[in-house]
Amino acid sequence: MTLETKAKTVLDPITMQVVLGALENAAIEMGHKLARMSYSSIIRESEDFGCALVNLAGHQLCESSHSTPLQSGPIPGYVKGINTIMMERNEQYEPGDIILHNSTYHGASHGPDFGICVPVFYQEELIGFSVTTAHHLDVGASTPGSCGIVDAVDAYAEGLQFKAIKVYEQGKKNTFIWNVLRDNIRSSDMVVGDIEAQIAAARIGAERYLEIVEKYGLDIVEATAEALTDYSEKMMRNAISKLPDGEYQAEGLMDGYLDSDDPAKKDLKITVTLKVKGDELEVDLTGTSKQVDDRPINMPLEGTVNIAIYLTLRSILLDSTEYGNFPQNTGLTRPIKIIAPSGTLCNPIFPAPTIARFAPGNVVADTLMKALAEVVPKQVSAGVGNLKVLAMSGKRGKDYWVYMDIMEGSYGGRYGKDGMDSVDTLYANTRNNPIEDIESHYPLRVTRYELRNHSSAPGKWRGGIGSIREMTFLEDGSFSVEGDGHKYEPWGFAGGNDGKVGALSIRKPEEEEMSLPSKIPNTVVVKGSSLKMTGPCGGGYGNPFERAPQAVFEDFLDDYISKEQAETEYGVVITRDGKLDMQATEHLRNS
Amino acid sequence: MKLFGVDVGGTFTDVFFNDTEKHKTFIHKLPTTLEDPSVGVINGILELSKLHNVVIEEINHIFHGTTIGTNAILEFDGAHTGMITTEGYKDIMHIGRHQRPENYSIMQDIPWQNQPLIQRRNRKTVSERMGPKKGEVIKSLNEDEVRAAVNELKELGVESIIVGFLFSYINPEHEQRVVEIIKEEYPEAFITSSSDVSPQFREFERFTTAGLNGFIGPKVKNYVGNLSEGLKSANISADLHIMCSNGGVATPENIAAKPVNTLLSGPAAGVLGGAYAGALSDRKKLITFDIGGTSADIGIVTEDGFGEASARDTWIAGYPVMVPMIDIHTIGAGGGSIAYIDEGGLFKVGPKSAGSVPGPACYGHGGTFPTVSDANVVLGRLDQENFLGGEMKLHTEAAHQVIGELADKLGMTKEETAEGVLRILNNNMANAIREKTIQKGADPREFSLVAFGGAGPLHAVDVARELKIPEIVIPPYPGINSATGLLTTDLKYDVIKTEFMLSSELELGILNEDFQALEEGLRQQLIDDHVNDEDVSMLRFAECRYVGQGYELRVPLPNEELIGQNIEKYFDLFHEMHRNEYGHAFKESPIEIVNIRVTGLGKMPKLNKEKMNERSTLEEAIVKTENVTFRHKGELRKIETIHYQRELLPVGIQIEGPAIIFQKDTTTVIPPDNSFSLEEFGNLIIKVGDQS
Repeated sequence: MTLETKAKTVLDPITMQVVLGALENAAIEMGHKLARMSYSSIIRESEDFGCALVNLAGHQLCESSHSTPLQSGPIPGYVKGINTIMMERNEQYEPGDIILHNSTYHGASHGPDFGICVPVFYQEELIGFSVTTAHHLDVGASTPGSCGIVDAVDAYAEGLQFKAIKVYEQGKKNTFIWNVLRDNIRSSDMVVGDIEAQIAAARIGAERYLEIVEKYGLDIVEATAEALTDYSEKMMRNAISKLPDGEYQAEGLMDGYLDSDDPAKKDLKITVTLKVKGDELEVDLTGTSKQVDDRPINMPLEGTVNIAIYLTLRSILLDSTEYGNFPQNTGLTRPIKIIAPSGTLCNPIFPAPTIARFAPGNVVADTLMKALAEVVPKQVSAGVGNLKVLAMSGKRGKDYWVYMDIMEGSYGGRYGKDGMDSVDTLYANTRNNPIEDIESHYPLRVTRYELRNHSSAPGKWRGGIGSIREMTFLEDGSFSVEGDGHKYEPWGFAGGNDGKVGALSIRKPEEEEMSLPSKIPNTVVVKGSSLKMTGPCGGGYGNPFERAPQAVFEDFLDDYISKEQAETEYGVVITRDGKLDMQATEHLRNS
Repeated sequence: MKLFGVDVGGTFTDVFFNDTEKHKTFIHKLPTTLEDPSVGVINGILELSKLHNVVIEEINHIFHGTTIGTNAILEFDGAHTGMITTEGYKDIMHIGRHQRPENYSIMQDIPWQNQPLIQRRNRKTVSERMGPKKGEVIKSLNEDEVRAAVNELKELGVESIIVGFLFSYINPEHEQRVVEIIKEEYPEAFITSSSDVSPQFREFERFTTAGLNGFIGPKVKNYVGNLSEGLKSANISADLHIMCSNGGVATPENIAAKPVNTLLSGPAAGVLGGAYAGALSDRKKLITFDIGGTSADIGIVTEDGFGEASARDTWIAGYPVMVPMIDIHTIGAGGGSIAYIDEGGLFKVGPKSAGSVPGPACYGHGGTFPTVSDANVVLGRLDQENFLGGEMKLHTEAAHQVIGELADKLGMTKEETAEGVLRILNNNMANAIREKTIQKGADPREFSLVAFGGAGPLHAVDVARELKIPEIVIPPYPGINSATGLLTTDLKYDVIKTEFMLSSELELGILNEDFQALEEGLRQQLIDDHVNDEDVSMLRFAECRYVGQGYELRVPLPNEELIGQNIEKYFDLFHEMHRNEYGHAFKESPIEIVNIRVTGLGKMPKLNKEKMNERSTLEEAIVKTENVTFRHKGELRKIETIHYQRELLPVGIQIEGPAIIFQKDTTTVIPPDNSFSLEEFGNLIIKVGDQS
């Protein structure tokens, strides 16, 4: 299985650029086709999928830019996990094999994110892998849907586990496993259709990979992979060496299960100690809360924690607005060492459940940013508000309909810029579903979707504003929620105020509105019940009394703040008839 | 017929004249009059007419490509705009699809939040709501609230109001009623309703399309008014038509109401010009390839016409635009693209560009970065004395200087570096073409590459070789190709209706009725535009997907009543199209007809093709013989190359490369092992040889 390493090929920078272009082109094609062929809205509308080519050594050659980082990032880890299991089982890769994998203790991001891996052969020799990942609607867990399974007690309760399973063997469909899959998964037509779309896209990637190798030669492609990895490594090292040596620490808190009686299940802590030395960086998570043995908010180390850390570092230290785009690969991770003590939330021990790791991962990313804020204050945002994922489902004939809705968070203020309002955050970047699409295909009505009024966190650059989204069941059904951020406000920075927490409530027909915690296991509701999700507002950045009065006035005009808030929080006076009073403002600000 | 085509670009206004009876063609170029481009349009017509004795009273038609709307968006300089929308959904245009444009960036800007087309204070909500089932009214429209909202907006000083309600694409009644009320309360306002500009589902994209229309509306309307007035006072009574992104033209009245349809006016005319050039040589499968200073536009033309972009793929300045547009793939690669070595040591070309000011170093206007044009100079492919017809002398030394500096950093020779710059650029362009051909199941070996724009003919052969495209067409006037394209089009309007109908639950009666209704509306519009009945034609389409998918493919349907048996044929066609597009078909899966569409065409007079005059001998076309650097048999070497003047080339003689061909608006490069000839209708055809 090892590649004969030839004497180092001399690679000129032009050829390298040409091969890189061809590889990226292949990844774009995979992503484009997967998004367009897939059935469920979580893939085609939310774009919760990833595509990449990986060489035999496990280095990512290219990734689809048109996907969410939390899906593309873990792909080399999927491949590594598959390799490990295949080795243990003494199985071989054969041409025509297609491998399905979702084991969170072997590289997968979480159970619903299926990896489809196509081994690529050149002249009868294995040279690499074409891989797609995507979030599936249902994985056969105890309750419908693949999010909000917040009461799974172990990895087995989270649904089917596929550990490097050949769904095609040497080109032949392994019908047994497909039958098992169909028999154990709700809404199975949709899920199987999506897996087939993943397979088709991965096969295209494999074809392109081979064409590129045939055109340029394996040694050139391998040399390019190596050079690109070195390149990304160099970029990351350069960025790290600009940081002053030292230790920087931050703590982040999350709700956990606020309605639980067990103190070990709530108010959980993520501790990040950043150690910068020369061009290397250590991220030490020691001090993070112990794993929750029987609730799935533990985070797979490889598929979630590492990715959250790498992607956050990249987004801050090598921000694409400044550095442009360059290859995402293992080179970026070489100068970074992650220490995550075993048995903690960040490195759970099997069979601790992990399926609801999305919101905790955001806290890891946010806390890392907080630690970096001391070092590079002009490259971070203040605290980011966490998000929620909602699963809604009901019966449709003998099967289920399942719909998943990702409720966005918001960013904190930034140096010179206000925070981004109502967007997907940090290591994820999915899309919402058009209301007109949801209502045309599910017995649901989106009864409200707009920004929160008078809620933005004050700062010289204000925090981003969260949204309010209400959804009503038009038939009897059930729902579940995984989220966080109901108790701890997003942090303000450099004199900016803290942001606002998110909230969730339900109003059943003829009943009062009732507030709910951030995690709800599957709950049956009757027709006419309505869920209200309130998104968090990110933290403010800098002293609000330094915000330009005109900008404060504009926020007032846009109902982002009230007249009273303008005065008390920003020291900006607005007259009774709604005009900016500069004189009174100066007076108030100087008093 | 006497026809004018006038295309206004950022720097130049190009004028093309054709007399279809006397078989005369004249061209003219003048600087664009930036503060009011209509002045340049009129002057251009007058100047050309004077130069060539065209009687202005006899001009029949003027076809015009404009960037007024596009620039208003790119410069974010549009109207103070307000919105009336459904209560509870004030911020659809602000939240968008809640996705960040960049995956790896904290400091990024989100266009619709950073530069909102309509500020939140100007978005007013009223009580109303429609539902998804045939647009049933869930909540009736509160007209008092509407009146109050209109008056508030009037007081806030907005000039333009858009109306955007959920599900208006199924039932536009509420939007239409609001439009009436605005007309009563504030008749001066520019009004846009979302169901009118883009009656398709996906509220963020539809509202944003309406927002763009409202934002640029007053400006474009004003411009069209100025132009019409200006023509009248210059005694030009010709019919004026304006180019749209869909590759057709529309009347000034139509454009004044729906300016959002003009956003790709110029590039669309370019694709048409390319298609026309292909047709001159009876070539039907074409890749149009337009390279300017900063970008390259790629379009595909087949027997079925040009490709149209999927409604989900069309953007301008980061805002989604959901109107029919020719599928044009634009990448940041052109003559001014800067070559550099980045912090990590990668050798990159573009998308940063030296633009036209200061431009490439070889322009001598103070450019200090090595660009693609400089690389062409170093290799001897651009000639110091013969650039822009000799109007601009190139600074060869400056080019050598900047490429030399880059070469030192790379540890390569100057020539290797210059060739490397071109190779990287050409590969970027080849990849862009690959996305539109190979990745969609089309084989470039069956196509001809039509290369134009100032830099297209410089790069065409290398790009064609990369993709094994066998042949290149260089049109007679590569530098004013868009103006040429303007004279080759028809009036074209598209109408659309969302159906969400399953193949398993077909209601053919409804489909037939809806098609009929759409056609009738279109026919009326074309008749109102003074098109004769016999010049009207209709094209029908169904936009389909497998049930559950999110993207549609456009299936052409016949112009006849759909009956049970023939519809199956079109579902089969959908499977086939899906396989071509994505490499896979799901034959077992039911199909959903998402939208039906009708395109109405009103025939317009067109440019006549003309035979080249008899020319003299090949020898007389030779300007000089000089060394040009090419890679030949794997080695980079200087090769003796004949330089020709295109205007003097004889017709029909096959000439072997290497060769350089000068003409006023471009330079064509023919590397060794390729040959070329001039055809009777003026195209230069290059036969691409094997890579050596």
